[in-house]
Amino acid sequence: MTRHIHIVKVHHLTLSFPTRKDPDPRPVLDDVDFGIRDGEILGLIGNSGSGKTMTSLAIAGLLPEAANITSGSIKFAGKDLLEMSPKERRAMLGKDIGMIFQEPSTALDPLMTCGKQLDEVIRAHQDASVTPEDRRKMVTDMLRIVGFTNPDEIYGRYPHQLSGGQRQRVLIAGAALLKPRLLICDEPTSSLDTVTTVSILALLRDLCHRFHMTILFISHDLSAVRGFCDRVMVMKDGKIVDMDTTADILNHPRNSYTAELLTNARLDTRNLGLEPATVDYSKSPVLTAKNITAGYAKPLFGRSKNKTETNNVLHDVSLEVFPNEILGLIGGSGSGKTTLIRSLLDLLPHSGTVNLRSSSVGAIFQDPVSCLNPAHTIKWHMLEALNASGKKRGKVSRSERKALSLKRIITVLEECGLGEEYLTRRPKELSGGQRQRVAIAMCLIQEPALIIADEPFSSLDASSSAELLKLMTDINRERNTAFLLITHNIHIVRQIAPRVIVMSDGRICEEGTTSDVLNNPRSEACSALLEAERRVHGTIS
Amino acid sequence: MQSKASYLIGKTVELILTLLVVSLLVFAAFSVIPGDTARVMLGPDATESQVELLRAELGLDKPLAARYLSWLLGLLTFNPGKSYAYNVSVSGLIAQRLPVTIGMSIIAMIMVILISYPLAVLSSRKPGRLGDQICSVIGHVLFAIPPYVASLLLILLTSSVFSLLTVGNYVSPSEDFFEYIGCLLLPSFAVALPKIAMSFKFLRSSIIEQKSADYVRTAKSHGMSDLKILIRHVLPNSNVSSITIISIILSDILGGSLIVEQVFNLPGLGRLLLSAISRRDFPLLSGIVFYLALVTVLLYFISDIAASFADPRIRLK
Repeated sequence: MTRHIHIVKVHHLTLSFPTRKDPDPRPVLDDVDFGIRDGEILGLIGNSGSGKTMTSLAIAGLLPEAANITSGSIKFAGKDLLEMSPKERRAMLGKDIGMIFQEPSTALDPLMTCGKQLDEVIRAHQDASVTPEDRRKMVTDMLRIVGFTNPDEIYGRYPHQLSGGQRQRVLIAGAALLKPRLLICDEPTSSLDTVTTVSILALLRDLCHRFHMTILFISHDLSAVRGFCDRVMVMKDGKIVDMDTTADILNHPRNSYTAELLTNARLDTRNLGLEPATVDYSKSPVLTAKNITAGYAKPLFGRSKNKTETNNVLHDVSLEVFPNEILGLIGGSGSGKTTLIRSLLDLLPHSGTVNLRSSSVGAIFQDPVSCLNPAHTIKWHMLEALNASGKKRGKVSRSERKALSLKRIITVLEECGLGEEYLTRRPKELSGGQRQRVAIAMCLIQEPALIIADEPFSSLDASSSAELLKLMTDINRERNTAFLLITHNIHIVRQIAPRVIVMSDGRICEEGTTSDVLNNPRSEACSALLEAERRVHGTIS
Repeated sequence: MQSKASYLIGKTVELILTLLVVSLLVFAAFSVIPGDTARVMLGPDATESQVELLRAELGLDKPLAARYLSWLLGLLTFNPGKSYAYNVSVSGLIAQRLPVTIGMSIIAMIMVILISYPLAVLSSRKPGRLGDQICSVIGHVLFAIPPYVASLLLILLTSSVFSLLTVGNYVSPSEDFFEYIGCLLLPSFAVALPKIAMSFKFLRSSIIEQKSADYVRTAKSHGMSDLKILIRHVLPNSNVSSITIISIILSDILGGSLIVEQVFNLPGLGRLLLSAISRRDFPLLSGIVFYLALVTVLLYFISDIAASFADPRIRLK
């Protein structure tokens, strides 16, 4: 088979979600027309809501029931997929088309061992003649291929006993088990840290060569496709706006939208106007934490193995955050970043002292979806945050107080780039970036001296991240609010944080000015992070 | 630091403490009920000295704490004393009535599971469609009907309108087991009706929730059929959360059957309880209440343990 034959040909595909109220809505996919060449790795890039996932689901035949394909066709190896019966299409899934998804932590059934779940893939497609021993051998062989040195042990493990990266490997094993010709990867690395991302991408590339697989790689991060994809396709509002070889797209973007995505991905300080405040390190810090040690309950069966080892995740961590400062905190998964901020916020029992100069600390978290109450409006959320701050407002009548707090809420929301019309909206009517803005607004209304932000960008696409980053630096400059920014994105830290702390294995392994630490890493953990960063994103800037 | 053993020990201590509190409450409640047991037993014509004599005989003149301790000791050794009214041992009385109440509860529970599960599965296939809506409306109506009203309606329907079953009949299981089951079918159904609605509603939403889970999407991408996904992934996961609800329903059924027995004229614990109340039969009354509480607390205890074992995330922590 030659390389230039299209294995998938999507022909003028238009797709919409008609409802009874609106029988002819704006299409989610608008005249999408492209081909995936046999054996290539095609990147599909675009912001959230641009139709990337719908395109992949249409190819796989897993569209939601409400979706309606109004025109166009999809051909897989010459066969028209839309003409097939649901049963025929199902028979192709797993066998001809494999899929892996974004969130490995929830993509496996928690009640079933990994081996059993992989076994199901074979059973769904093979006739009864394949013996259980054969199936087991197939599964363990594939587990070895995806990088497990102990496949028999992994076979009997439950998903919660594996790390995020390991789960993603199990899922890749499931998708590649029957050696499908097309592997659709829907943001497979966006919830993984940089080091794991590098290894997963290497694995996918290896599989692609080994089994002569074609990969459709979906991502919202343009820089993530560098060095991985052969060609890149850019989508915006359901349309394909740009398509070229990866090098051309990244180096000479012809389309203005692609250029904008690139700017956002690079977080170009000049173009975005990111100017953090200057920090006076002679002032007394807003947050002083000394000798924090904390841990979680010991695992039930783990204790027999490591009887002497303590179960602490954090060991004797001390740090200071100065006024106006944006302090970056980086480290791989499991380095204790989240445990540290949970201890700082007093959400976790710990030993050691945490001193806050001001009583109020704000916090924003990784997942803006689950942080807001879906039943209530934004106004309710803001009011609750305002009341929780407990600021005395003197003796005013109830109606006056109401008007006052409403005014305050509107000012803060506007500061965060959300107009008055957002007051009556509910969380599900907002995009991820807007939700994260609400979370920041809820912090701001309490006028905190410090906001702790735990991976606020990881669920956002590049454009929303860039906007959020700008908002954070604006707040930092204008309100003199300090930020403790936890992230696995070293690039962001490089851009806005004057000082950085690197964590590894529950200890602070490096601390200093950002340029110093990132240019001359002294610890192994920091070098590993930088190396991974370089391999994923290339040397941007 | 928590291990499986310490979890079990903790739960058991919790269980014992709960039972102690229950026993205290039961004892306290019956100690403050107005009316003198001896006076009630002997009737209004008895003289004061006769009443005093009986009080001494029953041990009612001893201090409260001593009475509580001897009562508790009796309960724990399954020898809560003699009934005042029947003059036979309380455990014997309870054991005699138990088959009715237990039988009804078990049959009702089986009905709940057999009816609500398939309905929930069918209903969750196409949430929001007509069939689902009809099921939900009927569920709400059934949920609102108390068991004794349901039993009256059922009696009316089956005996007067269709004359299918004889109501108010009871055959003990040692005489004819199938006849015994037959007698309990209708009352069990009356008890089960609102619980069917309850467990249907819960199962339906839990199945719908699990269906949108990510691992279902993974299974679909593996090419598994919807039925297989339902049986192998969706139902086991929804069962984990259902265990607690099922145990609540089971204890509710136990309580509900006490009332329905009365309507169907069945010689179960409920009727024994009522007669014990009206006759101020303290040993019998407290015995029944305590043992019912024991069963309920034990059910919760078992469901807690079962839930923790059904989920490998808890089991293998």
